[in-house]
Amino acid sequence: MRAKLLAERIGWRMIAGVGVLWGAATAAFFTLHGTAGDAALSTVAGQGADPTQAVLDQVRRDYGLDLPLWRQYVDYLGQLLHGDLGESYQQRLPVAQAIEAQLGQTVQLAAGAIVIALVLAVGVGVLTAKRRRWVRATTTGVELLLASTPTFVIGLVLLIVFSIGLHLFPVSGQDGLRSLVLPTFTLALPVTAILSQVLRSELEDVLEQPFILTARARGMRDVAVRFRHALRHAAIQLVTMSGYIIGGLLGGTVITESLFNRQGIGQLMLVATTNKDIPLVVGVVIFCALVYVVVNLVVDILYTVIDPRVVTR
Amino acid sequence: MPLSEPRSWPHLLTRAMSLAAVATVLSACSASGLSQPAPPHGDARNTAAPGEVLNGGGTPVKGGTLKISMAADPLCLDPHSISSDTEQILGHLQFDNLTFLNADGSPGPWLATSWTISPDGRTYVFTLKKGVTFADGTPFNAQAVVANFAHMLDPNTRSPLAGPYIAPYASSTVIDDYTLQVNLKSAYSPFLNVLAQGWLGMESPKAIQESTPAQLCAHPVGSGPFTLTSYTPNVGASYARRADYDWGPPALGQTGAADLDGVDLSWIGQDPVRYNSLISGQYQLTGYLPPQNAAAVQANSQFVFEDVNRIGWPFTFDFNTSRAPLDDIKVRKAIVEGVDVNAIVQTSQFGQRGVARSYLDSVTEFYDPSVQLPAYNVQDANALLDGAGWASRNAAGFRTKNGQELDLKLPVSNATTVSPVYDLLQAQLKTLGVNLQVEVQPQTQVTTRRYAGDYDLLSGVWHTNTPDVLSIKYASSQIPNSAHLGQNLARLSDPTLDRVLQRSRETTDRTELASLYSQAQKQLVSDVPGLPVYQNTVLWAFDKKLHNVIVNTSHGTPLLTYAWLVP
Repeated sequence: MRAKLLAERIGWRMIAGVGVLWGAATAAFFTLHGTAGDAALSTVAGQGADPTQAVLDQVRRDYGLDLPLWRQYVDYLGQLLHGDLGESYQQRLPVAQAIEAQLGQTVQLAAGAIVIALVLAVGVGVLTAKRRRWVRATTTGVELLLASTPTFVIGLVLLIVFSIGLHLFPVSGQDGLRSLVLPTFTLALPVTAILSQVLRSELEDVLEQPFILTARARGMRDVAVRFRHALRHAAIQLVTMSGYIIGGLLGGTVITESLFNRQGIGQLMLVATTNKDIPLVVGVVIFCALVYVVVNLVVDILYTVIDPRVVTR
Repeated sequence: MPLSEPRSWPHLLTRAMSLAAVATVLSACSASGLSQPAPPHGDARNTAAPGEVLNGGGTPVKGGTLKISMAADPLCLDPHSISSDTEQILGHLQFDNLTFLNADGSPGPWLATSWTISPDGRTYVFTLKKGVTFADGTPFNAQAVVANFAHMLDPNTRSPLAGPYIAPYASSTVIDDYTLQVNLKSAYSPFLNVLAQGWLGMESPKAIQESTPAQLCAHPVGSGPFTLTSYTPNVGASYARRADYDWGPPALGQTGAADLDGVDLSWIGQDPVRYNSLISGQYQLTGYLPPQNAAAVQANSQFVFEDVNRIGWPFTFDFNTSRAPLDDIKVRKAIVEGVDVNAIVQTSQFGQRGVARSYLDSVTEFYDPSVQLPAYNVQDANALLDGAGWASRNAAGFRTKNGQELDLKLPVSNATTVSPVYDLLQAQLKTLGVNLQVEVQPQTQVTTRRYAGDYDLLSGVWHTNTPDVLSIKYASSQIPNSAHLGQNLARLSDPTLDRVLQRSRETTDRTELASLYSQAQKQLVSDVPGLPVYQNTVLWAFDKKLHNVIVNTSHGTPLLTYAWLVP
C-alpha cells in the first residue's frame, strides 16, 4: 500500500516536472525573443565587426530567424522533443555539447560550496543554539551581514584580503585546488548564513522537547546531546531547504565564475545572455530547471524515508 | 576593427561592475602606485615607431617559454572569423601573411615575394615564396591562397573583418604553383596593406576544408613561427616553436626559427590582476596594460613600457547627420568648438593618449597635420547654437527650440566598464545647454540601434592599417540600411568626399594618394561628422628579461617572432 502510494506520488511529480521544463523553455524562449535587439545582428555585427550583408542573411536563414515567431517556437519544441537543444549562435556547437563542456567545472565549485556550507552551518548552528545572549547576537549579526551582502561583494572582499593582500590564493583561473578555495567560499558563505539561521531556530525548538531533557537526565554531555539527538530532528529543515540551496548556488556561479575568471555554466550563461545567443540561454535555463525538478523529486522521496507520515497525500 | 579597450563578450555587467569596484578599492589602497598624471598631448609623448626593435642587442638565448597575459578571450582563434584585437598579437605568432608593412606604412613582401598591378588597378599577379609549409605539413602555394580568400569570403565563415577587407575580390587564376593572378571587381589600392593584417593570416587549406567552423575556432593551423598546442576557452592557450620555420618577414632582417621554445597565454579579465601579475613576474608581457597603471609601469625600470599610436580612426563620437538636431552643421560645429577635448583626454586617459584633432590617427600614412578642427572656443560655440535657433533655455538650463529641448542620445554598451569619457562629455555639454543622455544598454540593443540609425551620438575607434579607413567610415556607400551593413555611422553623404575617396582606391601613385587623402581630411573637417577625442593607442609592457621585441608595423602591437628570454 505504501509502495503504491509512493510510486503514484513520484509519477505525479514527474509529470509535473515535464510541465515545469516545458514552462521554463517557453518562458525563456519568448522572453529572449521579446527583448529588444536583433539576434542575428548581435551574433555577427557587434562592436568592431563589419560583416557583409551576405553573412547576416546567412545567419538569419541558418537559425530560422527570418520565420514568424510562432513558427520558430513550434520548430524549437519539435527539436526539443527529439532531445535536440539546437546550436549555439556564437559558439556554433550543439548546445548540449557546450553545456557538457562547462558542467564539470561548475559541479566541482558547487559541490565544494555545498560541503563547506553544510559543515559551517551545522557547526555554527549547533554550537550557538540556546547560548548566552551575546553569542547569539554576534552570530546572528554576522549571518545577517553575509546573507544580505551581494555575492560579488563577498568575492571582492575575499580577493582583496586573501589574494591581493595576503597572497594566499591565486586571483583567478583554475589551476588546482588552491584556485578553487576563494570561489568556493564566495559561493558558500551566503548559503551558510541562511542555513545556520534556520538550523539554529529549529534546534532551539528541539532543545525544548522532553526527550532532550531525558537525554540530559541520563547524564549525556551537552555537545553530545546537541549533535546526537537534537541535530537529527532539526536536519529535516535542511532537506526542505535544498531547493533554496540549489537556487542560490546556480545564481551564485554566474557571479563567482566571472569574478574569478573560471570556466563553467555561470560564465556560459553570462556570455550567452549578453550576445543574445537564444538557443544557448534557453538550453541553460532548461538544464537548470531540470536540476530543480530532480532535486525536488529526490527531496520528496527523502521525506518519506525520514518521516513516513508524509506519504498520506 | 575594434575598440582598443579590453572589451569582451565574456565579461558582463556584473564583472564590469565588480572590476570597477576592484579598481577603485585597489587604487584607494595604493594611491602611490597611480602617481601624478604624466604630461599629456599626443605628439609630445614618447612612443615607439613602427618596426622599432625594443630591448634589442645582446646575444640571443635559445629556449624558455614566454608567459603573456591578455584581457579577453574572443572564444575563437581562427583569425578569419573574428574581429578581436587579440589577433594583432596572436595572428602573427601562429600565421604568416602575404605582405608585411614597411616602417613607412607602404606594403612590402612576405609570403608574396613580389607582385605586379595592372594599370586599371584590378589585376594583381603575386609571386609566392617557395618551401613554406603549414604546421600540418600542407604546402603553401597558389591553391592555398585561393582557399584562404574563399574561406574569408564564405558567408559561413561569418568573417567580421578579413572578408570585408577583401570585399572587392572577384576571382583568382592559378598560373602555376607559385604564381597567382587575383582579379578584383573594382580597383582597390589598400589591398596589399590589408593583406598584412593579423586577421588575414594564411591558414592551412587542409584544416579549412576538414574542420567545422567551431573546430577551426578551437584549432586553426598556420605556417607561423609558433603552432597552437592547446587552447582552453577563457583560461588560456599554449604555442610551441616550429623548428623548421624560416620564412619570417624580410623586413625584420632576421632568418630562421624562433628562439623561444614556446608562448603560454592567459586571459586575465580584471585590470588590477593583469597589472599585478605582470609586476610580480608571473607574466613577462601583457598585451593590454590598463591605462591607470601605465605611469607606474613606466616608472619601473624593470619593464619596457609602450604606448603605441595606431593607424586608423581615432576614438571619436560619430554625429548622426541624418536626423535632427545633428543634421544641422551649426550644432555639430558648436559641439566640436564648445567641448574642451584636452581636459577630457587629460582626465580620462591618465596622460597616456594624445588629443585627436582630425578624423585620422596621426601615425596613419598620408595623415595631414595641417588639417585640424577649430580650437576650443565656448563663445563661438554658444553663438553657433544661438544662430541655429537654440537660443532660449528651459528651467533645467538646457537650450530649447520651438519648445523642444536640445537632447542628444548616446547609446552605450554595458558589456564593458563604462568609459569616464561619457560623463566628462555630458558635464561639458551641459554648460553649453546641451542635454547628453548616456543610455547604458545591453550590447545587443546598442548594436541594433547602431544599424537602425537610432542615436545622435555613438562612440568608437576603428583600427586598420591604411588611410582607407576614411572610406569605411565616411563613404556614403557605407551608410547601413536594410539592404546592406556598413560603418558610416555618421551617415554622412557628401558627393565630393565620395569622389575623392573613390579615386584614392583607384590609384597607387603615392604622390596622388597624398593629395587625395589630404583633400579627404579637409573635406571632413568642413563636414564635421563627429567629435574626435583621443588618438587610438595600444598600451603594453614587458619585463626586460624579454629581448628583441619588434613593434608590429600594422598594429603597433608586440611582434614576438624573434624575441628571446633571459632565464
